[in-house]
Amino acid sequence: MSVIEASAPAQESPPTRRPRRWKRHDVLAGYGFLTPWLIGFFALTAGPMLVSLYLSFTKYNLFGAPEWIGPDNYQLLLDDPKFHQAVKVTLTYVVIGTPVKLAAALAIAMLLNNSRRGQGFYRSLFYAPSLIGASVSIAIVWRAMFIDGGIVDRIGSGSGLDWGGWVGNPDLIMPMFVLLTTWQFGAPMVIFLAGLKQVPAELYEAAAVDGAGPWRKFVSITVPMLSPVIFFNLLLESVHAFQVFGSAYIISNGTGGPAGSSLFYTLYLYQRGFQDFRMGYASAMAWVLVLVVGLLTFVMFRTSNAWVHYGGDSR
Amino acid sequence: MKLNRARRITVLVTATAVMAGTAACGGNDSGGDSATGTISFTWWGGDDRAEKYQQAVALFEKANPDIKVKTSFTDFPNYWTARSTEAAGRALPDVMQMDLSYLREYSENGHLADLSQFSDIDTSGFDEAQLQAGTVDDELLGLSAGTNTFALFVNPALIEKAGVEPLPEDYTWEQYNDWILEVAAKGVKTEDGQPIVGSGDYRGALWIFIQWLVQKGVDPYTDDGQIAFTQDHIREWLALGEAPDTAKAFASASRTTQLKPKSPFLVSEQATELNWDNFTASYITDMDTEVELMPVPTGANGSKEMFWKPSMLLSISNNSEHKTAAAKLTDFLTTDPEVGKIFGNSRGVPSNQAQRDAVVSEEGSADALTTAYEKDVADSVTAETPIPIKGFGSLEATWLTLSEDLAYDKISPDEFVEQFWAEAQQATQ
Repeated sequence: MSVIEASAPAQESPPTRRPRRWKRHDVLAGYGFLTPWLIGFFALTAGPMLVSLYLSFTKYNLFGAPEWIGPDNYQLLLDDPKFHQAVKVTLTYVVIGTPVKLAAALAIAMLLNNSRRGQGFYRSLFYAPSLIGASVSIAIVWRAMFIDGGIVDRIGSGSGLDWGGWVGNPDLIMPMFVLLTTWQFGAPMVIFLAGLKQVPAELYEAAAVDGAGPWRKFVSITVPMLSPVIFFNLLLESVHAFQVFGSAYIISNGTGGPAGSSLFYTLYLYQRGFQDFRMGYASAMAWVLVLVVGLLTFVMFRTSNAWVHYGGDSR
Repeated sequence: MKLNRARRITVLVTATAVMAGTAACGGNDSGGDSATGTISFTWWGGDDRAEKYQQAVALFEKANPDIKVKTSFTDFPNYWTARSTEAAGRALPDVMQMDLSYLREYSENGHLADLSQFSDIDTSGFDEAQLQAGTVDDELLGLSAGTNTFALFVNPALIEKAGVEPLPEDYTWEQYNDWILEVAAKGVKTEDGQPIVGSGDYRGALWIFIQWLVQKGVDPYTDDGQIAFTQDHIREWLALGEAPDTAKAFASASRTTQLKPKSPFLVSEQATELNWDNFTASYITDMDTEVELMPVPTGANGSKEMFWKPSMLLSISNNSEHKTAAAKLTDFLTTDPEVGKIFGNSRGVPSNQAQRDAVVSEEGSADALTTAYEKDVADSVTAETPIPIKGFGSLEATWLTLSEDLAYDKISPDEFVEQFWAEAQQATQ
């Protein structure tokens, strides 16, 4: 996370100063205040991560002692059809869900960027789903909306689409999850909105003078000027999408069904660890996820130079 | 910022206080192992069972004023995830409901206490077979609260609506299939426009497969806890239901998925369902129609070969610091006649004689139905309980998932066998 913050968008860096020499007691006080966080970090994050790395090389069923088996768990992953299914489901979700969500967020942000009466109200209104979106109750409501005879089914049959309940249909459950995440566009929308405010109005004025239409302005001004924000949102939302769990757990009753079509990676990891009592295997899965997300972040940062423009930044 | 001495001390003190605050969790009331103190008790089940346990625990606390019982409950799947985490941290509740499918996992590394060591637990009123079922390596780790056996639940009103004859008592698996096909062929629908079906895909429950194996005279497991059935047995079992499956005569996978946690039988779209007979109470409560119980289909050798299985056991954790109190509670919940009266047959027909005698069943009640059913089929209960092997719980879950994949045509029966076998090798190791 610190990497992301370090390259946060478009901030004017102050002229470099000689680093101030910290007084020893300042440092002490600093660490004193940091202590709770440091304890939390080492005891609750770093420690368990190391343990899970060790466990991923063991056979551990939670009841007995872990037994060292080397990289067997990682090898088993390769032959596990459910693992392949989980990877497929999760990648589909990330690759489709994230861009759709960001597109929606950007579109709404641009609509809300015009000043008009009551814009504060509209902004709150569009942000509201994100406040409640991650909650258990919404997943339950969502499930009720998308079953046989639910509101979506009735709207469908009213308009001549006989799609039935989406929850029981392996082909429609992924679109349902994409809709669910898209609906929670509030957080990236707010960030986009802040980014849009930063785009100098004179650029649009100059473009208008040159006869550019709205589309041209969007492609040539908005997108490039917004690219650091797009990058930031894309990174954050992708990482987030890899870790979706709660809604999948509730909507499928923890099964990842129907027929494995909502078997998200984290859900399968949970099943392996806590239902099949194969914690070593689950730990191996967790580490594969960490590596993949890490690699993806790395690749995005490396390729970002080609398409992300930091205004006023000379690098 | 420059801190003077006094401020600096304040800062450090504050930081230390915060640290102490975060570290000060836990803390035990060290009561020692006496029959006093607070013990925890947890179970799986719905509101109905919770209410009954609350009543039973209140009676217990009245009889044992020195013991307080802290109770909690959850549904079956979540119950096991919570317990497994507690087991890893050696923090299991003092007394807990235990399932035969998981008993062997928890017996490993001494998570459960040997109940025969407690003088407070009186095992004299229990059937020997039920005590045996809760015994692992000569230690009594789970005390059977009730027993059950499979039954075919029947919705007579729906059968009449479907326009078919009811099944005969001595029906075979093949006849059952034909009957299911017949129901589907009639094509009658419910008011909601859902087709009436004869049965769900019964192949999806591992226990029913085991019942069928027993009828074939196949012992499901070896004495040393390994799988004794073969891949061919699974293939044969899956082939048994192929005709109704191909004809789409079973309740559809999509419908079944969407009705969860209910089932097509529960909402009167499915005329029969194979299930454990202690489900009678919940069916009767949730359905507004009459329900009958019939024995399972007859096997190839002409007999039903049914077996009793402990529907639930009670166990005491070895990490308990109040084992004597826990033993008192366990004994009370499984042997006290008043408790037997409260629960009736809803935990299965009580395994303890005193509790069994105490069940008062009004005519037409769920308890009366179960009692009558178990009396009726007693002659057909001729097989020994196949005690699940270690890893059975996860095998059961795998079987269920693969059945769903099969029902949605995502995998072939051969892939089912292959994938199940691969899992079984891992799970039973």
